[in-house]
Order: sequence, then C-alpha cells, then structure tokens
Amino acid sequence: MIQCQECQHLNRNGTLFCEECGRSLVGLPLNATIPTRAIQSDVDEASAKSTWGTAHVGQGTSLMLRFLSNDEPMIIPPTKRVVFGRVDVGSTVNPDIDLTPYGAIEKGVSRQHAAVEFSEDTLILLDVGSSNGTFLNGQRLVPNQPRVLRDGDEVRFGKLVAHIYFK
Amino acid sequence: MSISFDPYSILGVSRNATDEDIKKAYRKLAQRLHPDKNQGNEAASLQFKDVSLAYGTLSDMTAKRRYDEQARQHEESGDTYFTLRMTPSKRAVMPLPEDQVVYILTEIFPAPSANPQEKVEANLNLSLVLDISNSMKGTRIERVKIAAQLIIDSLSPNDTLSVVVFNDRASIIIPSTKVIDKPSLKARVSMINPSGGTEMFNGISEGFAQVKVAANPRIVNSIVLLTDGHTYGDQDKCLELAKQATNTGVVISCMGLGHDWNDEFLDKLSSTTGGSTTFISSADGVVRFLNDHVRSLTNAFADRMQLTVAPDPDIKLEMAFRLSPSPQPLMIDDYIIPLSSLQVNRPIAILLQFVLPANLTINFRTLARMVVSGEILQNQVTSFKAVSDVSIEVTETLVSDEPPNSIMDALSKLTLYRLQERAKESLERGDVTEATQRLNNLATRLLEMGQENLAQHTLAEVQRVLQTRAFSDAGRKTIKYETRALLSPGGLDVAITNFISSDG
Repeated sequence: MIQCQECQHLNRNGTLFCEECGRSLVGLPLNATIPTRAIQSDVDEASAKSTWGTAHVGQGTSLMLRFLSNDEPMIIPPTKRVVFGRVDVGSTVNPDIDLTPYGAIEKGVSRQHAAVEFSEDTLILLDVGSSNGTFLNGQRLVPNQPRVLRDGDEVRFGKLVAHIYFK
Repeated sequence: MSISFDPYSILGVSRNATDEDIKKAYRKLAQRLHPDKNQGNEAASLQFKDVSLAYGTLSDMTAKRRYDEQARQHEESGDTYFTLRMTPSKRAVMPLPEDQVVYILTEIFPAPSANPQEKVEANLNLSLVLDISNSMKGTRIERVKIAAQLIIDSLSPNDTLSVVVFNDRASIIIPSTKVIDKPSLKARVSMINPSGGTEMFNGISEGFAQVKVAANPRIVNSIVLLTDGHTYGDQDKCLELAKQATNTGVVISCMGLGHDWNDEFLDKLSSTTGGSTTFISSADGVVRFLNDHVRSLTNAFADRMQLTVAPDPDIKLEMAFRLSPSPQPLMIDDYIIPLSSLQVNRPIAILLQFVLPANLTINFRTLARMVVSGEILQNQVTSFKAVSDVSIEVTETLVSDEPPNSIMDALSKLTLYRLQERAKESLERGDVTEATQRLNNLATRLLEMGQENLAQHTLAEVQRVLQTRAFSDAGRKTIKYETRALLSPGGLDVAITNFISSDG
C-alpha cells in the first residue's frame, strides 16, 4: 500500500493519485524529465523538454536514438523508411541501419529487425518479423503492425535498449 | 475472405513464420482465450473465434497461399487503416504480497494514409430526437429549433435526416429523407410546439425506426437525443433499445439541457452504444453543441469502432474511461466496449485500469489481449482489426520508472472526476461528513489547477450539502460534467461560461 502524505489514506500499490484527496502519489512534479535524460547536453535538454510525449513530428524533424552503452546519439534525418538490423556477411539483404556496433549480436537483434517510417506528421515503428521481438515501452509489438512513436519512448530491439527523441 | 482480416497479426506471428511457429502461436492463444477458461467474458470468445478462423486460414495451404497473394497486392496499395498504441503506467512491476494497479493508455490513431486533405466528408444518416415536453417552452425550444435548422443548412444532399419529437407520445416531424429541399424541411421544424410530459422510449424508438429506413454501413448512422427532463418507467425499455441500436451500428448521443434530466440514465444509454452525453447548462449552448456534434460526425474516418479486452485469468479489468474524443465513462460488463467513430483528425484515447494479484512470478508476462475493430467508410466498406497483447515485466530488481506524462496528465484529471463520484457515493450512504470532506478535497485540487470557478461551485455545493444533506441538481451536474470536461482540452472554459449565463 502507499500512504498519502496529505490525508493518510492507504492506496493500492501502483495508484498514481490518492483516491481520497487527489494528491499525486508519485512524489515528483508532473513535468519531471525522465531519468535517461541525465546524459548531458544542454541544447537537447531544452528542446526535448518542450516536446516530450508528443506524437507530432514537424517537417524536417530528425529521429535521435540514444543507446545506454554509447554516449554519442544516433541521428537519422527524415527519410521515407529506415530498417534497423545487423549486417551479416552471408546475407543478401542488409538493413539501412546496422546495430552491430551497439552489441547487436549478443543482444539478439535480427538481420531485419524493425523499421521506422516517416509519414506526414507521425513516426511509425514496425517489427518486420524479428526473432526476439521489438518492444515499445515494454509492449511487444505484433509483427508488421504499425505503432505511433512518441518523443521520449523506449524501444527495445531484442535486448538492445534505445531511447527515442525527436529533434 | 476480406483482406482486412490479417490472420498473421491475429496470431501475432510474422509473415515468414514457419508452420511450426503458427501452430505454436495458435495453441497458446487458443488455450488462453478458450471459452471454458474465460466464462462470462464475451470479448474473449469473440477473440477466440478470430484466432480459430486465422489458424484455419494459415493451416490450410491453399487458403494461406491465396491470402499471401492478396496481401502482396494489398501492400502495394499500402493501406493500414488504424494503428494502436499501448502505454503502460509502468514497464515493470515487483512481485508484492498485495494487489497492485497498472494503468494502460490505449490510443487508436487513424493511419497516416488517412490524409485529412484527401478525406471527403462522411455521409450521415441522422435522426434528431427532440424533447418537446412542457418544460421546453420558451427560450429552450426556440434555440433547439435554430440549432436544428442550422444543421439542415449544414447537411449535404447526400445526407439523410429525420426529426422526431416526443412528449407523452412521439411524432415524426420529418420522416427519413435526403436533405434536398432545405426550406421546406426548415419550415417543418419551425412548427414544433411544446406541450405534455416526457416519455423517452417512444421518441427513441421512433428515431431508431427512422434511422433504420436509410441505415447503411458506408455512412455514419446516428441518433441525437436532446432532452431536459426525466423519463419515468420506460428506462429499461430504452436501454434494451440502445443494445439493439449498437448491434445495428447506430450510435445514440445524448444532450441534457438544464438541470432536471437523469444524468446516470443518459450516460448509460449513450455508453451502451459508444456515444457520449453532453451537459448543456443553458439554452444558449444548444446551437453550438449540437452543431459541433454533427460536424464531428462528418469527420468520421471509420465507424462502429469496438474494443474487446480479454484479461488473463488472474488479472482484473476495473475501469475503462474514454479520454478523447468526448470524455465518457465506459461500461465494461461484457468486456466489449463500443467506441462509435474514429475521426480523421483525432485519435481515440482510453484509459484502462487493471489490478494484478499478489505474489506474481518473476517473468515477462501478458496482462490482456486487446483487439480493436472498426469499419472503414469508403466506397466499399472494409472492416479492419488491430491486435495488441499488453504485457509487463515482473522483476525482483526495483526499477524507478516514472509514469509517462500522458498517463499522469489524464489521471490527475480523472481522479477529480472520480472524487465527485465518490462524494456522491458517500452521500448515498448517508455519510455527510465524508461527502463534504471529499468535495473539499476536490475544491483544493481544482484551486491548485487554477480552476477557480469550478472550485467555487464545489465549495458552494459543500454548504448546500451541509444544510440539506443532499446535492442540488444544478450543482451536482455542473461539478460532474465540468470535472469530466477537464479531460478534453479547451472544453472547460466554454462550459463554465454557459453555466454562468444560465437561464436557470
């Protein structure tokens, strides 16, 4: 149970606002930034804050991916469709973005793993039939079923975690 | 078989899955959704049928090849009609010796290919069902007439309209007709004259009959009910009719004018069909609300949208609430939730509250399987389904995962709506102290949010409750519908202004 600091009401675990008095039980201001943004970059910080949570992509918005293992973000300029995966010497089809430098093999990334499609005002994430699955905020995607991406989302390719920002 | 029924996504396997993968996926789902294991869950049995049908297709070589060929052609034309997005309040939970709550924000977006610029307006088959009881005399009926006439003006010759009025009985002012001769239709509306009592069933039943005359799956079939009073004795009949309407794909939306109508009943009536109930506090609001509503109907991209939820056996679905468009509590009795239409320019957002049992096993696990279906309004009606398994990780290591803003924002407001519901519950139990305490808490939160007007109304209601041990009709409806309106961006200011300029 979580006890409300204001009215002492006991709420079930996982409740976000006290059922008795409406006070936030999360203990952090509503507009707090997410922990993964601790990686420093002042400019990103300011611009990312204002858009966090938005699904809307303006014209010319790039997609930025941050991997836990790597300080340098990956920036993907707007294009029609990019396929993420890993390059395999024996294979005839290669992905647009090779995730090998981020530990793709050990983390179970497929050769053709997932795709991001840039459309008029949204970004769409698709699992293109990976073996170990693509996860959006912990939800495993059904293969080939598109999902709308939001600024600040967590995407997992197999076990490889990346955070998505619009830039 | 229609192309929109994608057996691969129903089974959750990729296009290049092996026969073995397909069989495995089928067995797992069939076990999970089997009617014996999900007694009383209609949604699970619908999903079970889909899964069986999908497996039937993919396990039959000829049918599979035919589907794959169709799908290839389909992909060239590039159409996905809508996409789902599930955002959980946390990505991982710890096993605890007690129950825990997880919220899932479910959003349904029209696919990017549903380009608003290319979209032609959906055709309507609309029945206006208007209360003309004695209490509608004066400004109210005059505003209703103006609103109805404006609607006639805004409709196109391809739209179908009927107007039914009711007091103790129902009469048809305009029988189901194409909106061609606008002046004569408007003239008929102008002759409406109020008298008598309010018997809703007759009105709705006649409106439904008129909609059925021109009912067509390619268009938006809708009844708009406008009333300012209670109906007595025929509520159950009305709800029965609402179920029939849902099965025929007809949505009933309600507008309650003034303070004397039965909000719980109208909410139930509209929720049953996927519609919504709007509170119009003053006659001046009628024209705008009715007009806005009809305009939103023509923005429909898909209609007869429906969400089915099949929770895992140990998981409980406690609550469902539509946040957008038109905030509305949803009924989850049979886990089949009608959602009316998907508009081109606005996603449907629903907040679901699940309860997880104590002592969860460490694992990556599913909470529920959800299927959203709908019919795409085009020259040729295409039904479409999107599937999602909602899952969560149960882990020993504590993760400090902040809930997403979208969920925090929605819940902070939804909690206020539920606070006023809880205050009402206390009062029904006769507990005045608890009721006023809850209202005072609500007022505090409203002040914090900068909603001074509504906070003042709430505090005034506290005084009334202390004196009379009951809510006032006006106060309670204002607090209920305005806290609900907080959930729709920009909705509140307008509603409050209407209340202040109320005609009493």
